[in-house]
Amino acid sequence: MRSDSRVTFSVPAIRSAAMTQTSSKIGYDKISEGDEAPPLEVGPLTRTNFVRYAGASGDFNPMHHDDTIATQVGNPSVFGHGMLTAGLLARLLKDWFGPEALRKFQMRFSKQVWPGDTLTCTAKVTGKREAPSSDGQVEKLVDVECAVTNQDGTEVLTGTATASLS
Amino acid sequence: MADDAAKAAFLAKLKEFEGREVGTQDGADEVNQAMIRHWVEAMGDRNPVYTDAGAAERSVHGQVIAPPVMMQAWVMRGIAPPSRGPGNAQDELMALVESEGFTSVVATNCEQEYDRMVHLGDHLRNRTVIDSVSEEKATGLGVGHFITTRVEYETLEGEPVGRQMFRILKFRAGTGRQAASAGDGEEQARPKRPRPALNRDNQFWFDAAKEHRLVIQRCTGCQALRHPPRPRCDKCGSYEWDAVDASGRGTVYSFVVNHYPQVPSFDYPLAVGLIELEEGTRLVANIVGIDPSEITVGMPVEVEFVDHDADLTLPAFHPTK
Repeated sequence: MRSDSRVTFSVPAIRSAAMTQTSSKIGYDKISEGDEAPPLEVGPLTRTNFVRYAGASGDFNPMHHDDTIATQVGNPSVFGHGMLTAGLLARLLKDWFGPEALRKFQMRFSKQVWPGDTLTCTAKVTGKREAPSSDGQVEKLVDVECAVTNQDGTEVLTGTATASLS
Repeated sequence: MADDAAKAAFLAKLKEFEGREVGTQDGADEVNQAMIRHWVEAMGDRNPVYTDAGAAERSVHGQVIAPPVMMQAWVMRGIAPPSRGPGNAQDELMALVESEGFTSVVATNCEQEYDRMVHLGDHLRNRTVIDSVSEEKATGLGVGHFITTRVEYETLEGEPVGRQMFRILKFRAGTGRQAASAGDGEEQARPKRPRPALNRDNQFWFDAAKEHRLVIQRCTGCQALRHPPRPRCDKCGSYEWDAVDASGRGTVYSFVVNHYPQVPSFDYPLAVGLIELEEGTRLVANIVGIDPSEITVGMPVEVEFVDHDADLTLPAFHPTK
């Protein structure tokens, strides 16, 4: 079992320049292919973070909070919810584009996230396009490639997202 | 399931689930401020548009919104969900894959699309269809099947909110490449047996087992033998006790043979016996040295000791020769 004897009861420590005001979101004309979001670093994650997410999401799979059960089936310890990692990455996208911008979010959970991991969320613009929207208007869409890596540089989540900007 | 024909028959049964409707599920509650607050706290997100009615009103949204990725959470069934009733496709599919030992689960993919923002007071419902079930795959985590579901989210009034594809891997724990390569050899990769909870009442029994002695606790007040170890004699009430060596001979009083779920620190099929010692006390121990299908109640057995690791030795019983 991995040891993380250090116990913190705070929300994940945030070391990111991109903070949270909707007014800071970027416009379609200001963004170019190859632009990168300011990375969002979160961690080290603790079991408390997993338990907090279990309560918030209603996902009580014991693999994420019960070390006894998690180790009995061969895991070194409990591990984080995939959708917790996805939620942290979505935060980065929201900080960048605003909460209303996200249209599509695809993710692959490639490695498990363990207590003690520090995650870095990144995103990069891969394309811009205009497409007709459902209400007959033209929607200005930005496609991004995004990833979450752990402290060893291993990708734990890779994904793509599409955001609608004005 | 080593047999290819059996595997093919199992896959055919799994494939019958593709396209089956799981049905609709209504969110337990309307979209509400309390659950949004829990979520953004879990994410360390302090954007006021999620929690501050005044700030939200001044924003482009005009009201408090829920983070889009929360969509799934509004219809989560929570801890110990009630049965969805007989004939539910998802419950039936899970029971079927688990019956073949694919009991562990991990999420592998998720795709979400959002049609509109979700606001306070929206009441969401989802509609789930089983999209696909893969053939047996050998993955890093273990041998298993990928199961993909498609979920539509809408309001109770029928207005679409978004949709989600979710893929999980149901796998046999301990069969993956990661497990096999985790140590220098299989012995190292194998997790240790669960530890007994040792205390001053039972320590003597496990210490004796380490010395390959099977002992029985004895009341020094009335000489009654008892097992499992406990502080007080239930015949005379005395707290005074010592221990005597058992002969190691007994009979199978009862037994079970475990097949599932499989825990990596044990070998399967796992025969667990309730052994009645000739001194009269009974204990639970593995039955070894015999095909589990040949064990019978009343069978005479004899103790041996298995050193599982440096810290744990346990008695097991084999048929008397």
